[in-house]
Amino acid sequence: MSKDLVSRWFNKLGPAEQDLALLILNGMAYTPRQTYDEVMRGSPIGDQLQRMLEMGKFGTTYAEEQDLIKSRLNQTLSKKDPDKPLFVALSTISVQPKVFSPAQLLQEISAGTPIGQQWIKNEADYMHRILQVR
Amino acid sequence: MSALANTFLFAEPLQHYLEYSTKVLHDLIAANRQGSQNIVELIGTDANPAKVKETLASLNPIVFSMAAHGNYTTTTLECTELFMQVGDANVPLMKGRVVHLNSCQTGAELGPAIMSAGALAYLGSNESFWFYVGDEANTTRAVRSPFLAEWQFEVSLLKGKTVGEARTEMLAKYEEELTYWIEGEGKTHNDAGELARILSINKAISTFAGTPGTKPSPAPTVLLAGNTPWVLIGVGGLVAYLIYRELKRKI
Repeated sequence: MSKDLVSRWFNKLGPAEQDLALLILNGMAYTPRQTYDEVMRGSPIGDQLQRMLEMGKFGTTYAEEQDLIKSRLNQTLSKKDPDKPLFVALSTISVQPKVFSPAQLLQEISAGTPIGQQWIKNEADYMHRILQVR
Repeated sequence: MSALANTFLFAEPLQHYLEYSTKVLHDLIAANRQGSQNIVELIGTDANPAKVKETLASLNPIVFSMAAHGNYTTTTLECTELFMQVGDANVPLMKGRVVHLNSCQTGAELGPAIMSAGALAYLGSNESFWFYVGDEANTTRAVRSPFLAEWQFEVSLLKGKTVGEARTEMLAKYEEELTYWIEGEGKTHNDAGELARILSINKAISTFAGTPGTKPSPAPTVLLAGNTPWVLIGVGGLVAYLIYRELKRKI
C-alpha cells in the first residue's frame, strides 16, 4: 500500500471514524488520523502502521482488542446527547419494546448484557470493515 | 391446496415503533408492485392476529411478510399482541409459503419450526434487529436505511426474482447501505458510525432457509406460455380481418 493509498483510505473515512482509535502498536492506540500523519512523515512507526493496514490487522492481542473495542464504543457513544432516544431493537425482552439512548447502550456494554455483547461482538467486524476501505 | 403464486400478504403494524419498518415497506410495495400481482396489506389495527389468520386462509398467499417485535420462540403483531409461537396452531399456517419475519431473534427457534411445518422459505434474524429513531419514521435516509436493506427481499420478489436471488440482492443492499454510511455521502451524518454498526449487526444476524429456486411471482408471460399459440392465432386473425375490411372499403 503506497502513501497515496493510505491517504485515500484516510480521506474516505467519515470525520468521526478518523479520530477513533483503530490500531495498537507497542501498547499505544492510533487513530486513522495519527496513522495517516505517521505514514506521511515516513516514520518507522508509520511503516509499521502501514504494514498493519496492508495486512488488515489491528495489531492487538485478544485482551487488547477487547479493551480497544470497549474504548471505541465508549468514545463514540459518549460524544452524543446521553439521554436522546436513538436506537430500538425489535425484541420483546421487556414487556414493552425498549428504546436505547447512548447512555443506556453504554450501560449495556459496560455490564456485558446480551445487548452489550451483541455490540461488542459486532465492533470487531466493523473495525475490519474500516480497515478494508480502499 | 398450494399457496397461490403472485399473491402477497403483508402485515404492517404501526405502534411501538413498528411504523419505522412498515412505512418503508408500504412505500416499497407501492413502487415495485406489478399489475399481475394480488397484494393485501393489513395496516395498523388491521394487523391483528385474527385478521391475519383469516386473510392467510382466504387469500392463500405464497408470500407472507410482517414486521413485529419478537423473541426466540415468538412473534407478535400490532400492540405486541401474540401471533405465533413455537408449538402453537399458527405455525402450520406457514406451510407452502415464503415467510419473512422482520422481528428479533426468531431465527433461533421459531424460524426452524416454520421450516419444519413445510414453509418454502424463511427469512429472519437470529438476534436483536436494530434500527435508528433519531428522526420521525420514514422521513430520512437514516431512519429508512435498515429497512431499505431488510425489505429489499420483498422488492426483489415483487420484481419476479427467485427467493435465492432475492436473498442475494438483499445482502447486496446491506453492503450498499453500509458503504453509504462508512465512505459515501452519509459519512458526515452525526450518527453515521452507529448507523453503520446497526447495519453491520443486522446483516450478520440475518438468517435464511429454503429452496433458492422458488419463484413466488413468475412473470405474466410465463403464465401465458401455455396459451401463447391461441393468443397469437387470435391476434393474427384480427389483424387479417382489419386489413381485409380496409382493402374492401377502398375497392
